[in-house]
Amino acid sequence: MADAMIEFRDVTKRYGALVANDRLSLSIRRGELMTLLGPSGCGKTTALRCLTGYVQPDEGRIFLDGKDVTDVPTHQRELGMVFQNFALFPHMTVRDNVTFPLMIRNLPKPERERLVLDALRLVRLEGYAGHYPRQLSGGQQQRVGLARALVYHPKVLLLDEPLSNLDAKLREEMRFEIKEVVTRLGITAMYVTHDQGEALALSDRVAIMNRGRLQQLGTPEEIYESPNSRFVAEFIGLSNFLDGSVDTVRGETMTVATSGLAIETRALPGAAAGQKVLLFFRPNEIELLPADGESGSNTFPAKVEKTTYLGDTMDYRLVIGDGADLRLQTDARHRYAVGEAVRVRLPRVRSWVVEER
Amino acid sequence: MMLLRAYLRGLREGRFILGYTLLLSLTLFILAPFMMIVLRSVGKGWFGRLWLPPQLTLDWYRWAVEVGNIPEVMKNTLIIGAIAVILSTVIGIFAGWAFGRRRLPGKEVLMAVILLPRMIPPITYALGVAKIFYTLELVDTHLGVALAHVSVCAPYAILVLSATFEGLDERVLEAAGVCGANVLKRFVYVVLPLIMPGILASMLFSFTHSYNEFTLTLLTYGPHTVTLPVRTYLAVGDGYWEITSAMAVIMVVPSLLILAIIQRRAKPEKLVGGFKGV
Repeated sequence: MADAMIEFRDVTKRYGALVANDRLSLSIRRGELMTLLGPSGCGKTTALRCLTGYVQPDEGRIFLDGKDVTDVPTHQRELGMVFQNFALFPHMTVRDNVTFPLMIRNLPKPERERLVLDALRLVRLEGYAGHYPRQLSGGQQQRVGLARALVYHPKVLLLDEPLSNLDAKLREEMRFEIKEVVTRLGITAMYVTHDQGEALALSDRVAIMNRGRLQQLGTPEEIYESPNSRFVAEFIGLSNFLDGSVDTVRGETMTVATSGLAIETRALPGAAAGQKVLLFFRPNEIELLPADGESGSNTFPAKVEKTTYLGDTMDYRLVIGDGADLRLQTDARHRYAVGEAVRVRLPRVRSWVVEER
Repeated sequence: MMLLRAYLRGLREGRFILGYTLLLSLTLFILAPFMMIVLRSVGKGWFGRLWLPPQLTLDWYRWAVEVGNIPEVMKNTLIIGAIAVILSTVIGIFAGWAFGRRRLPGKEVLMAVILLPRMIPPITYALGVAKIFYTLELVDTHLGVALAHVSVCAPYAILVLSATFEGLDERVLEAAGVCGANVLKRFVYVVLPLIMPGILASMLFSFTHSYNEFTLTLLTYGPHTVTLPVRTYLAVGDGYWEITSAMAVIMVVPSLLILAIIQRRAKPEKLVGGFKGV
């Protein structure tokens, strides 16, 4: 790709028998914020470390701004990085921490001071220049980390689970702050996380990794609304899965037989009768109806198995058809008791079909 | 003084008498021999069953300096101490790096081997060292005596510095690398300041051990390398208790100075740590 800022080309990294990155190819466009998302051990951190040069890939090449940097040592790669544990220099003040990359590059003193002030202003910490990291809160320390990473205007910004060590409320705030800073500077950023919420909220594109491979690449909407595999669907958000096989195909819709039900869904391109498919619904897409209401298409009787009150929503576990579990969430206004008979309407248009793999 | 006042108040009010009595006895038990030496070193005509010396004098100190040749002996002790400190700390830095940062096969066994000189009775070990040093003509040289001291100082240095390097956060070094620092700059600007408390602790340990070392010195010293502990011991043999006491007091002074330094200056908690979480 011509305007790729970061490019992994068939990068493979093995640790003994474990393949951490398996022919990973990925390219991040200039000015884009891409998230590498996946469970722990999926290879996202290894990929990041290959990019920083901390880990040497066994095969494949890595390009930065069109230049092959596979054999360039870390300190010459011109990267900015924010670490999960902040990794600030504990023996230096905030000012010295942020000055460090400039000092290493022998910038003249007035310019250093100007850049450091700019960076500290960017993260709203100009009043803390003389503090030591241990005197700051977790969120402030991470903002220092961000300032240190950005102060010398690196080509790319790498963020390695930068919010995992912060408490939930702060995480939310910092999420927007990072997004805003990155957008304002227009810098290319690679964000590594296992938190799907962060990935969806922050990214221009999300790359979902599984067992060292790229599983799906797309915008947050694409990833959430049309996952290409059960793994992605399960990893992002809550999901219901129903195994079934195609019964009939009629133009845009098809009928799938599953658990003793015939469910109408959007037709899978090139679907044929008898094909095995996996139906997938989000819990908030399913409509919960009283047992005696009007019947319509895709409406099936169900029984309430378990309810959980979540404040703004009610979480129901239902049994449908000949014993399939279904989870759904509705607003908490009308409630159904455990054991009560109800009916559910499964979405027809917004029901995506994941191919069985 | 505070303790004494609290003790008296305790007595008066009839509280904690047992506890305070125990504390006071313990203090006396620890301090009494030392007080004895101090009194002896400044007392004149202190014979028989007198509780305190009838006259005070500093003559014994003058004698110790002139006859006992204390300045020369002190110089020897400090030179040997300095060599031992430098050698042990250098060994400690390299070995500590290996122990603390690398995955070594058989790490525990290696550590045990390194600590072995401390486990063998000093006189046994010293005899072997002396035999080797006579062959190598290292006896009665500052380097030789210092080398003998290193065998007991280095294990401490290695132990302390291994722990220091273990506590060094890998991610901080990685961060320095990403910031553009090469290996040398990473060491100078990040590693060195962060392990400084460990180096200081190792130097203090090594110095006090070398300074106080007796057995190893006794078997490797010569006329040019008499150290303070040995000199004091020899003075005992000469039979002048007052001069010996003066020497013993002089010997304590640097130890007290070091204690003061440790308490005032070295605050490791100011240098390490520094991030929340993890």
